[in-house]
Amino acid sequence: MKRFLSAKSLFGLGLVVLFVLIAVIAPLAVPADYATKMVMTARLHPPSFDHLLGTDQLGRDLFYRVILGARTSIMIAAAAVVMSVVIGLPLGMIAGYYGGVADNVLMRLVDTLLSFPALLLALTISAVLGPNLHNTIIAIGVAFTPYLARIIRGEVLRVAQMPYVEAARAAGTTDLQMMVRHVLPNIMPPVIVQATISLAFAILAEAGLSFLGLGTQPPSASWGLMIQASRDYLDVAPWTALVPGAAVALMVLGLNMFGDVLRDVLDPRTK
Amino acid sequence: MTYLLNRLMSLILTLLLISAITFGVTNILPGDVAMMIMGTQSNPEALAGLRESLHLNDPLIVQYGRWIGGMLTGDWGTSLIFKKPIAQLLEQKIMASALLVVMSMTVALVCAVPLGVWAAVHRDRWQDTASSGAALLGVSLPDFFWGIVMILLFARGLGWLPSSGFADPTENFWLAVRHALLPSLALGLGLMAHLTRMTRSTMTAILNQEFIRVARAKGLSERTVIWRYGLANAIGPVMTIAGLQIGYLFGSIIVMESLFNFTGMGWLTYQGLLNRDVPLIQASVFVIAAVVMLTNLVVDLLYLVIDPRIRLG
Amino acid sequence: MKRREFLYTTSAVLGGSMVFGTLGPSGVLAEDAPVKGGTLIWGHSETTQNLDIHQTGTASSLRVLQNIHNSLVAVDKNLNLIPMLAESFDQAADGLTYTFKLRPGVKFHNGATMTSADVKYSFERCKDPKTGAVNFEVFNAVGSIETPDDLTVVIKMKAVNAPFLSRLAENGAGAVIPAGSGDTQGSNPTGSGPFKFVRHEEGNVVEMARFDDYWNGPAYLDGVIAREISESTTRLTGLRTGELHMINDIPADRIAEIKADPNLQVVAWFPLNWDFVNLNHTFEPFQNPKVRVAFDMIIDKEQLLQGALWGQGAVTASPSFPTSTDYNHDLKNRPQDIEGAKALLDEAGYGPGKLKIVFKATTNYPYHIEAAQIMVEWFNQAGVELKIEQLTWADWLSQCWVNKDFQMTMMNFFTLWEPDFLYYSLWNSTGAFNYRAIKDPMIDELTEKARVTVDPAARAELYKQVQKRVFDEAHDIVLWFRNGTIGAQPKVGGLDTIVHPNGSNLNFHKVWLKA
Repeated sequence: MKRFLSAKSLFGLGLVVLFVLIAVIAPLAVPADYATKMVMTARLHPPSFDHLLGTDQLGRDLFYRVILGARTSIMIAAAAVVMSVVIGLPLGMIAGYYGGVADNVLMRLVDTLLSFPALLLALTISAVLGPNLHNTIIAIGVAFTPYLARIIRGEVLRVAQMPYVEAARAAGTTDLQMMVRHVLPNIMPPVIVQATISLAFAILAEAGLSFLGLGTQPPSASWGLMIQASRDYLDVAPWTALVPGAAVALMVLGLNMFGDVLRDVLDPRTK
Repeated sequence: MTYLLNRLMSLILTLLLISAITFGVTNILPGDVAMMIMGTQSNPEALAGLRESLHLNDPLIVQYGRWIGGMLTGDWGTSLIFKKPIAQLLEQKIMASALLVVMSMTVALVCAVPLGVWAAVHRDRWQDTASSGAALLGVSLPDFFWGIVMILLFARGLGWLPSSGFADPTENFWLAVRHALLPSLALGLGLMAHLTRMTRSTMTAILNQEFIRVARAKGLSERTVIWRYGLANAIGPVMTIAGLQIGYLFGSIIVMESLFNFTGMGWLTYQGLLNRDVPLIQASVFVIAAVVMLTNLVVDLLYLVIDPRIRLG
Repeated sequence: MKRREFLYTTSAVLGGSMVFGTLGPSGVLAEDAPVKGGTLIWGHSETTQNLDIHQTGTASSLRVLQNIHNSLVAVDKNLNLIPMLAESFDQAADGLTYTFKLRPGVKFHNGATMTSADVKYSFERCKDPKTGAVNFEVFNAVGSIETPDDLTVVIKMKAVNAPFLSRLAENGAGAVIPAGSGDTQGSNPTGSGPFKFVRHEEGNVVEMARFDDYWNGPAYLDGVIAREISESTTRLTGLRTGELHMINDIPADRIAEIKADPNLQVVAWFPLNWDFVNLNHTFEPFQNPKVRVAFDMIIDKEQLLQGALWGQGAVTASPSFPTSTDYNHDLKNRPQDIEGAKALLDEAGYGPGKLKIVFKATTNYPYHIEAAQIMVEWFNQAGVELKIEQLTWADWLSQCWVNKDFQMTMMNFFTLWEPDFLYYSLWNSTGAFNYRAIKDPMIDELTEKARVTVDPAARAELYKQVQKRVFDEAHDIVLWFRNGTIGAQPKVGGLDTIVHPNGSNLNFHKVWLKA
């Protein structure tokens, strides 16, 4: 419990709460057109008193775009990552724990998914299911699942050989109990890292999908779109990338710190 | 040995499956290559003529059969959008991608593993915070950001390296390395961030475990404890990620390849997909799939080498 | 429409010009005498694909192939037809027979000498629908191609087709390739131009070398290496570090900065292409001319040009080539009038909030996305909800171009200086490029009539009427001509000759490198 209340965990928790609050409150408190209002005389202006975080190539205020873009970015990214964990975790655990045919079949499925270019996957989803928010989440989630599944499978293979797991097995624990009680807590560190980092990747990936008509469509703001749009202006207006990039980084940092602590708390042996 | 044979067998089956799915899926996508070739210069009659001469009107099963037949005789076919034998296109793009993979993975692994271990050893101290912060900023900005930073810094600012372009390593090895260095550094930075985080995290967990305490109690040197016992157990997820990154680098880094005018398999696949060039898509997905699966196979074998106790099915 | 200089060069070495010489008539510096030698490295903004001159419709490939091929006839800066591979050409009084006298001793890159058989082969290949030639319809009215002797080609038409000769002035239709070379043109383009093809590494480089036997005198440069660098930041950096001698397509927001750089020169010309906003005429609200005019009134073209292209262009109400005789100077863009537009929309039964429009914009042209975003604001003010949907190029082509499945979109075309190609294709109800499904009997009649009108002045008059009709009815909303730009090292000479009259292709024949 002491670690749970450490400065680090509080800081991480604080960051996460802050971003969630922004995502929830900003669209209610700030008129939506603050993010799309263009000032043609103030294009690519650096941070100033008028525009706290500067403006983009169409003279839009980056501060408002960041806070109004938070909801979409966080929602899509979080949903996609949750989806990949929900599918990838059982997949990886079953493959790693049971091995043999189950492992071979499931992992070749994972290989198949990994072998498809992400673009082909996105184009197919867009063509077959249509371009909307749900399908954006599906496209990202499906693309990330095999990564988690492979990491989890590898860790399960390792953990299953640990003395305490073997001891538990000898004591007649059922497979399900074993997986949930003994294996799962021990494979959490890489899962947490992968999930939080995936969150950053998902935010950036959303921008790529937006390009294909999936995901946020301009002029609405999302962090990924903002970073994407900065590409042609990086050497004259680096803040157009750094502002949304910092938002992504801070949120992921918060989650990471919080996640590390969470894992320590869950892990029976570090109490 | 049986395991290896098994894996190779299923690899071939999976490749076949992937080629069939790719073919099916590609044909669902709206538009076709004739439309893409003509663009906004097309008119219905010319389009019909072009479709006919490209055999796009043949039944799908015939088209797929033609592809399989070609593959069995070692013929990759001809790209419809580039009008060039695909084998020639593949040869150059595979070389470019392979060079990038080797160089950027070297950069990433050489830096990430020590950095991650260092952060784990100094857990919760400034070293840890600094490495976490840097790593997370690294993954929070896309690779093109780091790419442009590299170009501005090393090519324009310092003038040390060429800003873009590919040179053939079989013709002039050092020139090729010089050209590949900037994209590899930029890519390596992003990969490194991910690997550092992974190393740090699994390493921290391992260093907390019973057997490490036992090893320390036995009086083994800290160096042996960390590198022999700690890292050997923590390296798994790092290897898995590195393996996945190789697949990603080989076939999916379209933006970076364009940014550095260093076009490889990612660019080739992208061109195939955007232009609905089915033979080219088939060929490039096939090559990428083979690389992805072979890499995964090697990673799985490495798990065995590092921890021989892992049972096999 | 303000008339602009067709080609203007600004050089950063301007200060030096005071000492060394005077400014030429088009602003070009008096230069040293050209010298032979050197390989020019060009940072090309786009990748090239199939290099078969008949099958390629992309501007990027044509830009390169301009140097490899020559056409039977060509146009000068004022778009007048001039001889090229044909020493002379003649059209019979009835407009049905064309006779071309070929230039003797023209060599192809493969060493062969050009004869009438090559011309016949080239045109018949282009005419054959199986070739999939982009310009095959140019030969639709052609009855027969006869070759009475090695240097004479007689083309007999089935019907009068006024634009025929002009269309032959573009390489896509008029290029002459060696007989029998069709199958290898895509991977090894062979023609009679000033440069011969050396190699093409897809997505990386196209290399060309001087053709010493060029009929019009060999080029100065030993060769041209076109490196395909699609990323503008990389291209600019390469120019600044000296890795590239020149680049095309300077990003619009950087032109001022490059112009101010004393170590670089900028060539800007006008126009590169033109843009318009499209309304689908099968979508019910857009069948009402009031709605279309109102939509035109909502858009402030000057502001949009500033916003999307940083002002690099000039607004226009007519898509005719600015220097052509058929450009209708009487047309003026409707000024922005949101209130007026609201009133019109109200009259048409589409009061505030009643119209929800999806604007499909293709990410192939990033400035279209910027333009669409700016328009959203104005349409909101007029009570029209505009939603942007981004499409890849393939999706745009299949949804908008082929299936006409859109409400509102935006597109650009290279300046189609030949008016039949422009007006018939885009606005005739049977036109190949009429993806808006515009059906206007008056335009149909005018464009049909112009096609069989041989007298140039009468023809130009007809096209002026077409422009007026398109404008009055707001069938489409024509926006602007966009500038083309080239940035180069000071050592590159002869840049005043580099831009082809069509505004898109580049000619390296007279370009040279200072020692």
